[in-house]
Amino acid sequence: MKRHLLSLAFLLHHSKRYQQAKQFARTLLFDTNNPYKRYFDLMIIFLVITSVFILIYEVKNPVPPWLDHYDIYFVSFIFALEYLLRLWVYNDISEMIISEYNNAHFLSREFHLYGVLKEALLSKLKYMLTPSAIVDLLAILPAYRPLRVLRVFILFRVFKLLRYTKSINQFVDVLINKKFELLTLLFLLIFIVMTSGIAIYILEADENESIGTLFDGIYWAIVTISTVGYGDISPVTEIGRAISILIIISGIAMISFVTSVIVSAFSERLGELKENRIIEQMNKSDAFLIICGYGQLTKMFFRQNRKQIENYVLLDSDPQRVEMAKKDGYTAICEDASSFSVLNQFDFNHAKITLLALTSSDVENIYITLNAKSVSSKIRVIARVNDPATLKKFHYAGADELLMPNMVANTMIYTAITQPTMYKAIHAVLTGKSIANIDEIHVLESTVLVGKSIASLDFKAHKILFIGIQRGEKFLFNPKGEVTIQAHDVLLVMGRKISLEYFKMKHEKGGYAST
Amino acid sequence: MHQHKIAIFGYGNHGKFIAKGLKADGFEITIIESTKEHFKEAKSDHFEDVRLLDVTKDENLERIDVESYEQFVCVMDDEHLNVFLTLSLRSLFSDIYILAISDSLNVTKKLQMAGANKVIDLYEVSANKIYNILEKPIATKLLERFVGSKEGISFREMLIPKNSFLDGMMADDMDFSAEGVLLVGLIDEERGHHFEFITAGLEHKLDSGDTIVCIGYKEDLDSFETLITQKEQR
Repeated sequence: MKRHLLSLAFLLHHSKRYQQAKQFARTLLFDTNNPYKRYFDLMIIFLVITSVFILIYEVKNPVPPWLDHYDIYFVSFIFALEYLLRLWVYNDISEMIISEYNNAHFLSREFHLYGVLKEALLSKLKYMLTPSAIVDLLAILPAYRPLRVLRVFILFRVFKLLRYTKSINQFVDVLINKKFELLTLLFLLIFIVMTSGIAIYILEADENESIGTLFDGIYWAIVTISTVGYGDISPVTEIGRAISILIIISGIAMISFVTSVIVSAFSERLGELKENRIIEQMNKSDAFLIICGYGQLTKMFFRQNRKQIENYVLLDSDPQRVEMAKKDGYTAICEDASSFSVLNQFDFNHAKITLLALTSSDVENIYITLNAKSVSSKIRVIARVNDPATLKKFHYAGADELLMPNMVANTMIYTAITQPTMYKAIHAVLTGKSIANIDEIHVLESTVLVGKSIASLDFKAHKILFIGIQRGEKFLFNPKGEVTIQAHDVLLVMGRKISLEYFKMKHEKGGYAST
Repeated sequence: MHQHKIAIFGYGNHGKFIAKGLKADGFEITIIESTKEHFKEAKSDHFEDVRLLDVTKDENLERIDVESYEQFVCVMDDEHLNVFLTLSLRSLFSDIYILAISDSLNVTKKLQMAGANKVIDLYEVSANKIYNILEKPIATKLLERFVGSKEGISFREMLIPKNSFLDGMMADDMDFSAEGVLLVGLIDEERGHHFEFITAGLEHKLDSGDTIVCIGYKEDLDSFETLITQKEQR
């Protein structure tokens, strides 16, 4: 038996197809990257909605048998399948057995199948007891026809939809945070309801017609304490009314208490929830900016007003500055960009992330750069360097681009003094405000530009000044007319915006793209 | 090559860099400092004309021989002092050219009000650079290399001399790519002292006295500069 199970575990563990199937099931259920997950989710949602619709419809109308069969067999079958899949991928028994076997072998002690099997099954059981697993299980139950009561469990199918909303999890999270207060209140509530329910039963059961059982008494207590007060049961004796007064007053106090606990829990977490929402929103786009530090440079950056920056998020660890940024109308989050977990929330596998480390402290900027690079080397970092002496450190930290405000300003002043005409030109080009733009055209593979000679493109007719080609590390200035363009070249051109755009558009066919 | 001198106020963060660059380019400069440390530093960096002045006193400024300077560059480390200096210079001398640096938004406005002819805002130029890096990284890098370097490819302004073959030519017809020189733009004095890019698509007739801006390798630019003095194109 032991040997059979062990060899089965080895077989499964080393079977490529088994592992592939499991991996596929796992991504289908959990990984948004799986292209089929969308369809799977949509199907589940469709099944839930139709089955609830049938439940409502059949209350007053006869249901055709095929619809009934669809509801019982098909929907339940799919849900059962889903339940089993989730249970299956939750953990890997074969792996646990093998690792236990290897450990036993290593320590040269006897291998006990029982222990590890128990552990594995317990962990499966643990999954089965999670709320979402219970909901899934209850959603299958209505298939069992003989018990009509189980039909009501179709409503549990609606709860399956909760898996697709994050807000409910956040709500539960908030409530869990206030577990202690809420539990205390719950116990107090139970205590009051029980004592007054029992009291009214003892005192009025004989005199009051509507109170027949203890259940009636407790029902009355709950209806009264919640201030709902249906009025179907009401006390008739004086002492009964006195109890009512007490229960109503405590009820009002308790309800307001519960409300305030929940509200305060939410307002405490509101900022965090909002920030999570911003990050989620960001992760949906395929390219965005993370700007660290809301200082002079960042303010100026936003004020340039050249092109609306859409996908960005501002991080600053100083709440005051974050407040200021929000007042100025920017999306800001009060988080420390030098913390690993903060940057790790961003989806760097899908989106092209550019991080601007623009705080006024070099130490901070280096730390943020290192942090970003440790989270993922895919994150492009543009760092601000204040002290030229730290330049080398930024290179070591892996910053992709460095920005030295002092240096930039110095160069500009220097140019303004030595070449005043040039200064105007360069300033115009750099600020992009003028009729001249220096732009780059990225030549992708299989575009119409590849293989064409410079002369045949006739930049002059397009009113474009062709300056050169960046090919790999080399820059070819003013190449001769017979030079042909290769894939991955970057053409450096200058001209009015509309000429450049027209040129780009004309050569767009065939997959041309530019930044 | 430049007869006029340049006065630099301040030998701090920015002054140092600018002064050294100008000196290497053969400009004649005067450094004026108000702190002893920076004054000593400038002295030890082998600048010939370094003065220690209290720039807050008008009588000190009045003694400067304004006529011989082409530009006044205010790059004091203390921004308050910088604004005050700009204001003093402007009130004393109405027609000098003042260039000032600002390292915050508010100061830029104050400097302009104080009468600086050109204010370079540290954060504005940096913020623009971030944009350029984001939008066109390669073009930005190349452009910076052209501007910053004196060797290799760079920009150059050239005054069209009298009797040049360029005199009377249409700007759009010119093509010197065979000489390794690309014409970027020009200042047409007939149309006022404005810089125009060659790609603007306007019909320009060049005259002597106009300035053209070219890009090319240093050697090509040098030979082009001598070429345009000739009457006929080779």
